[in-house]
Amino acid sequence: MSRKIHHLVVLLTIAALIVAACGQATPVATEAPSPTDTQAPPPPVETQAPPTPTEAPPEPTPTEEMIGETYKIGFAPAITGPGASLGAPEHETGQMLSEQLNAQGGVVGPDGVRHPVEILIFDTETNPDVAVSVVRRMIEEENVQVVVAGTTTGISMAIVPIITEAQIPYISMASSGAIVKDPDTGVVREWAFKTAQDNFASAQWQALYLTAQGYTQVCHLSENSGYGADTLAQAKRAFEPAGIQIVYEDSFERTGTEFPQVASVQTSGCQAVVVGAIPPASSNVSIALRDALPDLPIVHGHGTCNQDHIDLMGAAVAEGMVSPCGKVMVSDTLPDDDPQKDVLVQYVDDYTAFTGKPVNTFGGHGWDALMLAVTAVASLPDGLDLAAQRAAIRDFLETGVKDWPGISGVYNLSPEDHFSLGFDSLTFVKVENGAWVFFPEDQW
Amino acid sequence: MKRSTYQNKYQILRYILIFLILAILVVVLGSRKNFGPLQYAQLSLDGLRGGAIYALIAMGFVIVFNVTGIINFAQGAFVTLGAMFTVTFYNLNAPLPKSLHLLLSVIAAILVTTCIGVLVERLTIYPARKSSPLTLIIITVGVFITIQGLSLLVWGADAYVFPAFTTLEMSDRVFRWLGMVIKAQSFWIWGIMVLVLVCIAYFFNFTLLGRAMRACAVNRLGARLVGISPGRMSLVSFGIAAAVGAIGGIVVAPIIRPSYDMGLSLGLKGFVAAIMGGLVSTPGAVLGGLLLGFLENVAAGVTKAGLKDIFAFILLILTLLFRPQGLLGVRKTTVETDGAH
Repeated sequence: MSRKIHHLVVLLTIAALIVAACGQATPVATEAPSPTDTQAPPPPVETQAPPTPTEAPPEPTPTEEMIGETYKIGFAPAITGPGASLGAPEHETGQMLSEQLNAQGGVVGPDGVRHPVEILIFDTETNPDVAVSVVRRMIEEENVQVVVAGTTTGISMAIVPIITEAQIPYISMASSGAIVKDPDTGVVREWAFKTAQDNFASAQWQALYLTAQGYTQVCHLSENSGYGADTLAQAKRAFEPAGIQIVYEDSFERTGTEFPQVASVQTSGCQAVVVGAIPPASSNVSIALRDALPDLPIVHGHGTCNQDHIDLMGAAVAEGMVSPCGKVMVSDTLPDDDPQKDVLVQYVDDYTAFTGKPVNTFGGHGWDALMLAVTAVASLPDGLDLAAQRAAIRDFLETGVKDWPGISGVYNLSPEDHFSLGFDSLTFVKVENGAWVFFPEDQW
Repeated sequence: MKRSTYQNKYQILRYILIFLILAILVVVLGSRKNFGPLQYAQLSLDGLRGGAIYALIAMGFVIVFNVTGIINFAQGAFVTLGAMFTVTFYNLNAPLPKSLHLLLSVIAAILVTTCIGVLVERLTIYPARKSSPLTLIIITVGVFITIQGLSLLVWGADAYVFPAFTTLEMSDRVFRWLGMVIKAQSFWIWGIMVLVLVCIAYFFNFTLLGRAMRACAVNRLGARLVGISPGRMSLVSFGIAAAVGAIGGIVVAPIIRPSYDMGLSLGLKGFVAAIMGGLVSTPGAVLGGLLLGFLENVAAGVTKAGLKDIFAFILLILTLLFRPQGLLGVRKTTVETDGAH
């Protein structure tokens, strides 16, 4: 008898799990693609799929306008996993843009034909294997015109060979220059673009600040990831010409509990610590450093430009920490003639209204990447086949994006330069009373 | 009657010699970084703190293994659940003073995790009790992945903030003594580890249920013959392991930012600690944990600190190669497995 009860309990539990999983389905009637892998069961993610033309509410536009094919943009941020604090705002930005595109009925092509735009949202779980399988699915099964993915450098590097082979344009939201240019040969990757500011630009700002403070000997701690390793490499490139010596460099695990690096920092005699990490690792290591060395200045990179970084270590510990960040963090203090100001203010208003949370740089990277994709598909003439559409998007990105104000900076893409955001796209900020404030050079 | 695990004094001499060589190596490497006695002391202290966490988790492994013969890889999941439930309960609005609120949240979280541990045993281990231990171990791996996935659904991917026990705020009291930095939370961790060890020792030695569990561990068939139900002992062992794992997660939560995936690396390190201790007794688990934490932290401090996790697993491999019975274990020619009847 107990055996039957046991069977019943197990069946009920499985049924409950299935019901809970299906209960997460979107309110829209169309079938949303499920991004899960075949091996371990990651939880199903909400995917938003705007209605296809046949199910759309009546168009608010005049009836002479033709409705063309639906353009699909494959969007895969890292909604879960260690990169989630960066990927979640990107995800929310994607959902916000998706809603806006639905409301306006898509984009109008150069021949006056209206095309609905679908943003297919997947989760890479900050796992390169999952990212690769998700991107493959986007390309081969969903037949997207352009891929926007890769919250972190590691994920983006894993995606690059896939999109190169498939000859589909790819816009990454991560920061390493290696994503768009092969570091060994210096050849620009034909199909890859990125929207996050470069780690080298971040290192240049750090060098500038350190020089202004008179520090010549620094320690560099980086997290054990593609991003962390790149911050170290770029720091070496930027610090050497400025006469700053890295006397101690080491890495740490994102999930570490103890930080033996601190002992070495103490004995190395450095005057400041430069940290290359993203939250929560950046917060953990900062706490460890502050406990042991309360007066040692800490300079972070632009991977920390969100509120999580401050909240996870507490305002008291974070007080006084500086980093280079995108202008979106301090948009209200910018001068009115700044070319990005209008775009920034609009984004800040939209984002805070949509999510109820403060903005951060990473949502901005997502917005730039998606808007570049949307602008590119809007430029597509009618009647091209999929391969030609993908090539046309790539050509547009290389030639049609000039003085384009985005959230992360002003873009000037070209065949030789697939990201174009440099030193000027960042600004310097400081933590004061638990929030980011603008920290202009005259106050250093 | 315990056989001495160290048969002759030459064995002891050999271990002392190895320890001395390692100590000299550490000092040589440390001098390259200008380490003084202060740095070594700090590294040791921090290592012992991490080790205390591993010890708590390892105790759970040892208890389950002794009674059932299974390595319960879901132990890491109990760690996660303990921390996350406490965060959830603490964030509920309640008109209570903060310390009472935290205490109640902790107790509630431990109780809930214990119930989940019992459920895990009844739903997944008990029906498969006639299978080989290997099958049961794989089942526990599946349980871990399931619980981790459910944790992701319930709590999302964010890292949460947990107040330190002393100050009930995010920032903890820091004691500076002789140049060393000790956080107040470290004392909580050590104290609770000792408390749990004492309670477990009392339970196993002076209560009827505890002695029944020990009987089951020593000889399952004999225990059945005197009326002890191995199935029920298995259930109790999982409950205790879940409780101890939850406690481990709760005391470490103020130091790391708890998130749904914190159990994986902690569980693995706890497993290594249990192996090092010999999987025979809870004092062995504590010893293994402390030793693991100490060695891994000091080794990482004098070499490249990014390799800390590598040292932990190197220690595992070395233990299994050269002293598979662990610190306190007795070398057996065969492993007793009566199956989990």
